Formats: sequence, structure tokens, C-alpha cells
Amino acid sequence: MTASTAPARPESEAAATSPWVERLRRVGRALALPAGSVVLAFLIGAVLIALAGGDPLASYEALACGGFGISCFGGETPALQISNTIEFITPLLMAGLAVGVAFRAGLFNIGVQGQLILGAIFATIVGLRLASLPGVILIPLLMLAGVVGGALWAGIVGVLKAFTGAHEVVTTIMLNYVAYNLLNYLLINGPMQAPNSSQISLPVGQNAQLPTLIPQEGLFFGQPGGAYHASIGIFIALAAAGVYAFLMRRTALGYEIRAVGQSQRAARYAGISVRRTIIVTMLISGAFAGLTGGLMIAGGSLHYLYADLKFDTTGFDAIAVSLLGQNVAIGVVLSAILFGALHAGGLVMQSDVQISSHIVEILQAVILFSLAANFLRSLKLRLPSLGREPAKPDGMEAAQAALQAEVGSTAAAEGDGRA
Amino acid sequence: MSTEVRADRPAAPGGEAPYAIEMRHIRKAWPGVVANDDVNLTIRKGEIHALVGENGAGKSTLMNILYGLLKPDAGEILINGQHAHISGPRDAIVRGIGMVHQHFMLIPVFTVGENIVLGREPVENGDFYDRSEVDTRIRALSDEYGLHINPDARTGDLPVGLQQRVEILKVLYRGADILILDEPTGVLTPQETHDLFAVLRGLVRGGKTIIFITHKLKEVLEISDQVTVLRRGKVIGTVRTKDTNEEEIARMMVGREVLLRVDKAPAKPGAAALRVEHLTVNTEQGLPAVRDVSLELYAGEILGVAGVEGNGQSELVAALAGMLKPRSGRIWIGDRDVTEEGARHTRHAGLAHIPEDRRGAGLILSFSIAENTIFGHQRDAAFALRGMVLRLHEIYAWARRLIKQFDVRTPSEETPARALSGGNQQKVIVAREMATQPKVLLASQPTRGVDIGAIEFIHRRIVEQRDAGAAILLVSAELDEIRSLSDRIAVMYEGKIASIEPPDVPEERLGLLMTGGGGRQTHPAAS
Repeated sequence: MTASTAPARPESEAAATSPWVERLRRVGRALALPAGSVVLAFLIGAVLIALAGGDPLASYEALACGGFGISCFGGETPALQISNTIEFITPLLMAGLAVGVAFRAGLFNIGVQGQLILGAIFATIVGLRLASLPGVILIPLLMLAGVVGGALWAGIVGVLKAFTGAHEVVTTIMLNYVAYNLLNYLLINGPMQAPNSSQISLPVGQNAQLPTLIPQEGLFFGQPGGAYHASIGIFIALAAAGVYAFLMRRTALGYEIRAVGQSQRAARYAGISVRRTIIVTMLISGAFAGLTGGLMIAGGSLHYLYADLKFDTTGFDAIAVSLLGQNVAIGVVLSAILFGALHAGGLVMQSDVQISSHIVEILQAVILFSLAANFLRSLKLRLPSLGREPAKPDGMEAAQAALQAEVGSTAAAEGDGRA
Repeated sequence: MSTEVRADRPAAPGGEAPYAIEMRHIRKAWPGVVANDDVNLTIRKGEIHALVGENGAGKSTLMNILYGLLKPDAGEILINGQHAHISGPRDAIVRGIGMVHQHFMLIPVFTVGENIVLGREPVENGDFYDRSEVDTRIRALSDEYGLHINPDARTGDLPVGLQQRVEILKVLYRGADILILDEPTGVLTPQETHDLFAVLRGLVRGGKTIIFITHKLKEVLEISDQVTVLRRGKVIGTVRTKDTNEEEIARMMVGREVLLRVDKAPAKPGAAALRVEHLTVNTEQGLPAVRDVSLELYAGEILGVAGVEGNGQSELVAALAGMLKPRSGRIWIGDRDVTEEGARHTRHAGLAHIPEDRRGAGLILSFSIAENTIFGHQRDAAFALRGMVLRLHEIYAWARRLIKQFDVRTPSEETPARALSGGNQQKVIVAREMATQPKVLLASQPTRGVDIGAIEFIHRRIVEQRDAGAAILLVSAELDEIRSLSDRIAVMYEGKIASIEPPDVPEERLGLLMTGGGGRQTHPAAS
């Protein structure tokens, strides 16, 4: 009764194609939606720029310059632009992985920002307290402290979800506020506020700072080395992406996380403890988030804790990063690069062609929207000729199409709401 | 290929065109697949026409074309003798075609009346919903066709059989003369099916024409006037129901002889492999489901559990499988008390479980077949180094072996389970659960929604497992399945085992026991 009305798709078709063709087709299908969303976002962005009286082409050239150091016309140094972009990519990638782990278990971790702040606090404390240790010991300890801070914060959410059923969206948001206020308490006339400063802590010492990619002394690509802030933190983030991929694809734990994310009923059938998996997943997600905070302190350009970290949006941008990357390691890396480039490029666009860098936020929002609302898919359903494959409505879609056709748009909206 | 056999019945009186629908030379192809290949279908006015075929045979495609959801690549459609161009459901509805979908399109919080008139609400004084007018019209419709229902009931509170009635009324309300019913009995209990058939007969008496999509042969014989069989997109033939039988239809559907009966030697029961004592289980919502059940299941036998759905069978199986904690009582597998063990350790103790909810519990649809073949065993040493790192090479080899042994039709072991037909999905589960050579096998609705070829295959495998010494508990809503496979039959009623019967028990007695009659009589073999 469940499967018997699937539209005719005899097995002969499947049997005729080779595994490689099938694999390629799967990759293509996986890429179609995110790539389409990005293109759609840029099209809408272009319209908005034109409406605002700007030149879309020149704006996007400036964006590309700021993002990737190409097609620069405002006298920028490409290498410096790339360095800036890397600086944006690192936290976005780390935090994107944090969101991604949770997503895979069916959990929506909106609390990455709070977990990241806890990670940054822990990391700063270790960096300041143990400042005398040599870097090879201090930096790993600092990162570990960040991991512990983030994992603790997210672990609370996991335990609440597992034992009381408290929804993680609510608890993570609440804990974000707790984290913001903790930051205020520590830094606004609090125990961590640096003497003779306001709302910032002391910077962690040289020993606690990650080496930059380009030496600070000397001249590089026509700029002093000190202008390049990008640190080797990017390699840590990339390694984390590798760990993420390994965890998800190659470990029994990752398998169980994905199973719980797809169907808790099935997970129970398979003897997987749903509670335990939820808690472990939140711990891992928080660990990634906390490491983001650690990287901000040890590898960013500031090296100290500041109260305005609560206005930072990394933890929320990470949701877009993870969604666009379809929660797959390589996808998250690619989308972190894209968003990192957009954020860095927006600044150049603003200075070169006087288009507000807020357009980048609009692009991000449109991408997120079209992913979340699945615009493109519904567009494809309406206009089968658009897609490469004609729409094959399955039972539910066909039924929905029928419902819409039968009762018109108002009732269909209700039908959708129900589904 | 198409060997259309026309029933020679006189044309309808009054010189009208005798055919409600003629679909001629319909063709519909997807890239790489021809879903409908030169299909001709003729439906007479006032008949119940069964459209049968295995999954993927093209029945739904054909009906979606008729209903305007799909555009055919070629062919023409005549409705009441008139050429019809149907470019969407709206056109179909205007021409009097209505479709009752398998999955109901009802809004649960609306009343029956609101659901029926949705989109065509009668209004009064300009723009106010006219409840009394709705009631009048619906009562008129219900009375005309014997579809009794309270228009003010909240739809979500109704049992499935009545919800279906609402769907049918919805279609009638829109003026349909030709009703397409897509697998209407899939979700119904035997009693509800019986009621549905009474309704269908009433509709035909009232002049309606019905197209009935199904794969249940018994129903075809019971309700239809004509049968059209589709296989791989082609019409194999149209026959008059009273001139045919189950075997012939099955042969037309599958393309070869099909054994509808299961060949098996008498059971040689051994020691008790599963013992249940005074088991009491509640549903997940906390309602009592299994009440004080005790039973012994022996190695080398099949114990069938018959009963109307919802009498505690699901919860019994869930408790035995470690998915649901019993309130009281004990469960032993061999000598091991597994009452408190949970699914993982119960499985290690030698229990395998083919769950009733194939897509919701037995498989992760987005996982590849390979990943699904280790579901529940993902931390076994054979598949994971130290229970942690998956041994992909071994897993793929394992999956390929099972695919071959159990004849799973798939392009590769990396294909997601979602892409398989229902029968092949079920084969993946059956393969996984049988491959561990379990001591105890719980098979819950093992062939539900699976096509005939796969049913035959799965039945054979279950008997093979029995002959290899497994103790098998078979729960099924299909009485035929229970009777043909089981060595003993336990009938469940209201959470208790009403009786244990021999396999040759008359169907009437089973039916009586399932509905609470019959009294307790224990067969000697059950002690």
C-alpha cells in the first residue's frame, strides 16, 4: 500500500546505467539546488543594484576583487584581498561544521554563537593564565579549552533535549542570551576587563597566537607583512572539515547520527540509543563551535575578548554556510569560501563602486531563502521543460498538484501548511 | 502484444455511446523508460473496471494521464464518445472524472462538510459560509449513494474507512460520474473493505462508473466486472472477471506461472526458542495493548498471529524486538532473559525482525542499500573496526552478496533505498534480517504492499528459514498469508491470544475468533 502507486519507473532503467553514471548524476543533482540558489541570488542582487542606480557588472567585479583578488580596478593588492578572505573563511567554515553536525542528527543548533562565545572565553582564560607556557603546548591547550567551553554549552542543550524533550531551537536561543550576558558581566567592569580599557580583555600573549600565513616582517606583494592577518587557523578549520567527513562517512557514530536524523523510529528499531546520540551530537557540534571561538582568539586579528562579540553574526551566518553546503564536508568548505569571499568582497565593493556592503547580506538572505523554501524545486515542478529531467511527481507531489489545481491557491496554501 | 479481449455485452440502452472512457494508443516515456506503451483502455458505462499490475507496470501513470496530471506523448482520450483534451485536473473534473487518491487529501481540523466543499463553498449574503446549505447538500448526496456520514464531525477524528468516504463524497460533490480509486483498500481493515465494496456497488447502481486500481487479486474477483492487466507499460489483456481466476490474472501480471500457494513440508518443531510469560505492553501513548500474553515459539516452526489490526499485534512484536518496554512479564530467547535488553542486545541474542513499517523503521530511505544492509549491525566487528570505524570494503562486499542472494533489483549497492520499488526495499530488509541466521525471526506484515513476484520469493525464504531451524513469528493482516505459511495460528483479540488453532482451521472460525467470538479452544499442538 505504501509503494504501489509510485509512477512507473521500471528497474530496467536503473539496471541499464552504470554505477559511475549514477554517481555522477547524484553529484549533479546534489549540486543543482545550491548552485541554482546562488545564481538566483546574484540575479536578484543585480536587479537591486541596478534599482539603486549602480552598475551591477562593476559591482560584481569589485566583489570578485575583494573576494578572490581577481578583476581588481581600484588599485587593490590581490594577495591582501585573498588574505582577508581567508580570515573570513576560517570561522565561517568551523561554525558551519558545527551547524552541520547537528543538522545531520536532525537538530537545529541556532546556539553556535553562544557556544562560540563560551569557547572564546575559555580560550582567553587559558591563554592569559598559562601565558608562560611555550606555544606548542599553550596553543593546543587554548584550543582544547575552546572545545570544552563550546561542548559544555551545547551539551546542556543535548541533555535537556534527550531527557525532557525541550526543543533545541528554544534552548539554544536562550543560552545565546545567557552567553551574551556572561560576556557583558566579564568584560563590562568585570573580572576580565583589561585595565584602562573598556569592554575588552587583555590580549593573549605572543605564545598563544597562531602563526600567520605570511611572516610579519618584510615586504610581500608590495605590502608590509604585518598587513596580512590570515593565520594557519585555516588549516585547522580544513582539518576539522576532514574530521567531519571522516566522522560522517566512515564511523559507526556518524552512521548512527545520520540514522537518528532521518528517522528516530528506525534508529530505535536498529537498537541505536536516540538519547545518547542526541547528547553526543550536541557535544560534537558544540566542540566545533567552541573551536571557532578558540580560533578567533588565537588566530584572528584581535587576540582578545571583546563585549561586542555578541553582535558578531558568525554563528548565524554559519547556518547559511551549512545549508548551502548541504551539510556535507566538501560542500561546507565550498560554501564557506563563497560566503567568506562575499563578506570580504562587500567591503571592496563599498569602497570602489559605493554600493553598500549590505548587498552581501541580501545575497546571503536570498540564498538562504531559496534553499529553505525550495523555490527552484517548485519552479521546476511548474515548468517541467526547465529541468533536464522532466518532473516526475511522486504520489504526494502529484496529489498536491491535484489539490492545488482543484481548489485554487487559497486552499492549497492550507494544504501546504498541513503538509 | 496487446491481446484485448472484449466482453460482448450489448451497448447501453438508449443508443448512447457505450463507453465512458476510451484511451487509445497512449504512450508516455521518461528518459530511459516507457511507462505506457501503446496502451488501449476501454471502460464501459456503469461498470467497475479493475486496473491491475505490479508496481511500476504503469497503472498510476495511465490514471494520472486520464486525470490530467501528466501529459501523454501520444494517443487520444474519448470521454462518453467525445474527444477530450485534458490538460489538467480541472479539465478532468469538468468532464466528470474524479480521483480518490491513496493518500487522503483531507485537512484534519476541518469538519467533514468543510473538507467536502473545500474550494466550492456555498455562500450566503455575499461572502458567508453557508453551513446549513452544506449540510443539506451533503446529506442529499449521502442518502443517494448510501454513504452515511455526519457532516459536522471533525475529519481527523474519523477512522480511516470513514475518511475515505469523505474523499469519495468530495469527488461526488464535484459532480464526478467516473471515479478513479487508487489502491483504495490498502489502508482499510477487512470490515472497512467490505463496507467500501457495498458503497461502490451502490455508486454503480446510481449510474457511476468506477476504475479501481489494485494489486489484490481477491478484491478484483470480488468487486470488478472487467479486469485490465498492465505489465511493463503495456496492456496484457482485458478480461471479463467472471471468466477468469486468480491464477490467470497473476500469470498475466507477472508474465510467468506464479505459485499462489506455498509449498512446504510439515514442520519439525524443536526446542522452545522464544518464551513469553505474562507479557503486558502499553502503546507509546500509554494505552494498554498487550494483556497478559504467554506463548512459546519453537525452533523450526512458523507461528502465525492473526487478528484485525490494532489488537495488540504491533505492540507484541515491538516488545519482543526490544523497541517497546513491556510493563510486566518476561521474554526469553533460548535461556537468555532479554526483557530489559533493548533492541541492540536482543538482536545479538539471535533475534531478527522484519518490521511492519518498512519505510519508517526498517530502512533509512536516504541511506544507500549498502548502508541499509548493516542497519542494526553497524557496530558489529564484521563491519566496524573496534565497533567504531566502518569497514567500507567489507560492507560493500556484504551488500553485493545480499543483493545477489536475494535478487534485489538495483543498479548498484550505492543506490539510495528510496529509489527502489517497494518489493525490492522489502527484499533488502528480508536479506539483512535473514542473513544473520537468526534463532528467532519476527516477520511483521512481510509482504504488505509488495508485488506478487516478490511475495512468492519472500514466502519461500521464510519457509527456508523455518526448515533451517529458525523459530518464526509471522504477523499479517492477510489471512491467506497466515493460513498458507503457518504451522500454528494464534488469534489475537483485544491484546490477548484468543486461541491457538491448527493451520487448516476454517476461515469462518478464524473470522469469528478475530472479532471476539468462538471461545477458547487450544489445539493439542499448542501446549
